[in-house]
Amino acid sequence: MKKSTIVLIIILVLVVIVVGVAISSYNGMVSKQENIESSLSNLDVMLQRRADLIPNLVSTVKGYTSQETEIIEKITKARENLVGAKGIDEKAKANQELTNSLNALMVVVENYPDLKSSANFIQLSDELAGTENRIAVARRDYNNAVKSFNTTIKTFPNSILAGMFGFNQATYFEADEGSTEVPSVDFE
Amino acid sequence: MLTSNRVKLIIRTVVLSLLFIGILNTCICAVVRPTSNFYVNDYANILSSNTKNYIISMNKTLYSKTGAQIVVVTVPNLENNSLEEYATELFRNFGIGDKNKNNGVLLLLALEERQFRIEVGYGLEGVLTDGKTGRIQDEYIIPYLKQNQWDEGIKNGFNAVLEVVKQEYNIEIENEKAYSGNSGSNPKTVGQLSENNNVMRIVFVSIFVGLIMGLLVRINRLNIIIVVLISIAYLAIITIVGIWLGAKNIVNNFAMHLMSFLIGFSSVFRRFHFGGGSYGGRSSGGGGFSGGGGSSGGGGSSRSF
Repeated sequence: MKKSTIVLIIILVLVVIVVGVAISSYNGMVSKQENIESSLSNLDVMLQRRADLIPNLVSTVKGYTSQETEIIEKITKARENLVGAKGIDEKAKANQELTNSLNALMVVVENYPDLKSSANFIQLSDELAGTENRIAVARRDYNNAVKSFNTTIKTFPNSILAGMFGFNQATYFEADEGSTEVPSVDFE
Repeated sequence: MLTSNRVKLIIRTVVLSLLFIGILNTCICAVVRPTSNFYVNDYANILSSNTKNYIISMNKTLYSKTGAQIVVVTVPNLENNSLEEYATELFRNFGIGDKNKNNGVLLLLALEERQFRIEVGYGLEGVLTDGKTGRIQDEYIIPYLKQNQWDEGIKNGFNAVLEVVKQEYNIEIENEKAYSGNSGSNPKTVGQLSENNNVMRIVFVSIFVGLIMGLLVRINRLNIIIVVLISIAYLAIITIVGIWLGAKNIVNNFAMHLMSFLIGFSSVFRRFHFGGGSYGGRSSGGGGFSGGGGSSGGGGSSRSF
């Protein structure tokens, strides 16, 4: 075989490898982006579910108390903010606001033993705690998807392709550290 | 013949691969792993064998009829995780319930923390709502657990959950008494290759290389195409080395390395565990049971007792 043929074959093989790597890395980035989308919509469903539980909770609490209008108003407002929130940062913030006002409610509920031990309230608290946990799980899944995508588009050789095809870094769904605790209901 | 230096090198490689496998087993999952019984994992050692056998036999029928699985796990402690996080992680690791129906339920008891959780897969959230699982715990489980009556609490709770699942699928399960334990679960051996001793030894190198490649793919450090290229190059080289060491049959030699490489490669991925593994997959041969690949989104409720 002539030297030039060998060189040609080597170049050809290299080109095939480079193109192959590029295609598979592009596809990888696309599928990771899809993953982010689907976990975000899952997270949205859970946030909506939480918002849907609030009116029921509010009417139950109202049935047992007449003084706590301030806190109920706060919860209602936080719920409205969550429903109307656009964008990930805004949603995370509104969700946190709702968590804080619900935590405040749970403290107040301690003063109403009848409310606390009513079957309706126990059921609602369970649903609410369950939804909070679902949100926590969905948020973790979403943030993991974001992390995986962001790491991928930052590492070589994907970073070159990411720049070429306009893949931008995704935003984490973040609440303030230390204020992410799920209000737990204690029935001792 | 092998020189003593080469033998040392091989031993070192083998030890390294074993260490590697050990690290993988402890690091990747922070939660306990399923036992070969799968349906009952009594890590806290508080359940009687009667209860265990009952749960296993009920589950066998339930799974064959509906694909649903109700898994009981007791742990001595949560290793500083929150109960909810631990439960979801464990649920997903075990793959409880059918992969498409997601109809698994997990009953998790943490002994030191004195906490209990019923975690429900997506598919059963409609019938086992959070409120319902909370009520089941309040009525059937927590009163017993408060008095350390573990068997009664777990069995009662299990039955209550089972009842709901049975109604959902409209089935009946008769109590099978003739459950014959889990005897004879011999770990599967990987082929019976007894050709050339020297050649056999470097097979471990293939497992090790496969392991590293698999690991790199798993943690997303390497592109799959690059991995395939490296793997092909490696297999070519190792086959030549095999011939040099005195392999008589080239095809056998190559096949052996390919197999070992694949074993090492796939051992990193949960779905393809070889030998004695009880992860994923639908088959329950070898005396063990396994999850159907179900997942959970964190539904369910928790109680302290």
